[in-house]
Amino acid sequence: MNAYWPWWAGALGLAALTIGYTLATDRSFGVSGAWDRVLHWRREREHEKAEEKFTDERALTAALVEASADHFAALPAEPAPRHQSPVAPVEPSAAADPVVTRRRPAPLVTQAALLISIFLGGLIASLASGRFELRLDMGPGFRDLVTASPVGMIALLFTGGVLVGFGTRLAGGCSSGHGLNGCGRRDPVSIVATATFFGTAVAVSFLLWKVI
Amino acid sequence: MRTRGGILLANIVTGLALGFTVTSIGFGDYIELSRMFTFQDLRMLLSFGGAVVIIVCVFALLKVRRTPGRIHAGVIPGAVLFGTGWAISGGCPAIPIIQVASGYLPALVTIVGIVVGVRLCRWVRGRYLHIDSGSCEL
Repeated sequence: MNAYWPWWAGALGLAALTIGYTLATDRSFGVSGAWDRVLHWRREREHEKAEEKFTDERALTAALVEASADHFAALPAEPAPRHQSPVAPVEPSAAADPVVTRRRPAPLVTQAALLISIFLGGLIASLASGRFELRLDMGPGFRDLVTASPVGMIALLFTGGVLVGFGTRLAGGCSSGHGLNGCGRRDPVSIVATATFFGTAVAVSFLLWKVI
Repeated sequence: MRTRGGILLANIVTGLALGFTVTSIGFGDYIELSRMFTFQDLRMLLSFGGAVVIIVCVFALLKVRRTPGRIHAGVIPGAVLFGTGWAISGGCPAIPIIQVASGYLPALVTIVGIVVGVRLCRWVRGRYLHIDSGSCEL
């Protein structure tokens, strides 16, 4: 069994994947956001369909505007100054277009792929390092610090999971969304969120160590 | 790369890399995590902090677009709940996935908890708690 990575390897790995994703897609990724959208896939699918229709309609409008511009341009010339004002408003909407497209969340399928890939990546790492072992407990650390009883373990894991799921969605992100991507972009809301969830986890962990 | 296929590929590669890296650092190991949160072992803390420092520097150098979000009403209460849940269960939303991938079967219960929590949050917000939680992008 290999030892865990030294700190610098972990830092380089996490930084490389975050920077790579941002450069490739011009978006931030977040695991809790992916969970949220995948778990509400029915509603999210409807949103996506509406969005596609909207994009189609916008393309249609743009084509109509262009066609009518061509049509009117072919007509006998009118005084030039009047012609300029109807053409002008088309420009800003065309310029605003990439912004709208960029701010759309990643498609639903790709976020489901993210979650599945995390599982596969973890499986490859644990098999390659020889750390993979099917077990019905969470390891000696959890047993000593949290609870030794199987029923207590199930109850606390479930409660912890609910807190994580609810809390990350209320805060609008988790350790990947706020922590890596948001803090990397020096987004104030992400820095506040990261400081708060990290500080709380530190306080609760100290309490757990105190109790034993 | 910004086509649908490009984004799909980026998510698959990022997911594989994230699962592999986070597992290799040891975030799925409860005792390592707890030793990080109580500052007994700074290795994982430096991994995370070091990553953030590198990302900040590279984004600043490449002039990556900044999208400052508002500090909305849900940030502090949400982050407190999340921090508590993380310290107890050892799972931020990606960790139980890699715990199961390492063979820790009870982490499936954490995943069930996350599923319930995520769905509960959207349901409660739509119905009773009209608290602003910013964009749902992250």
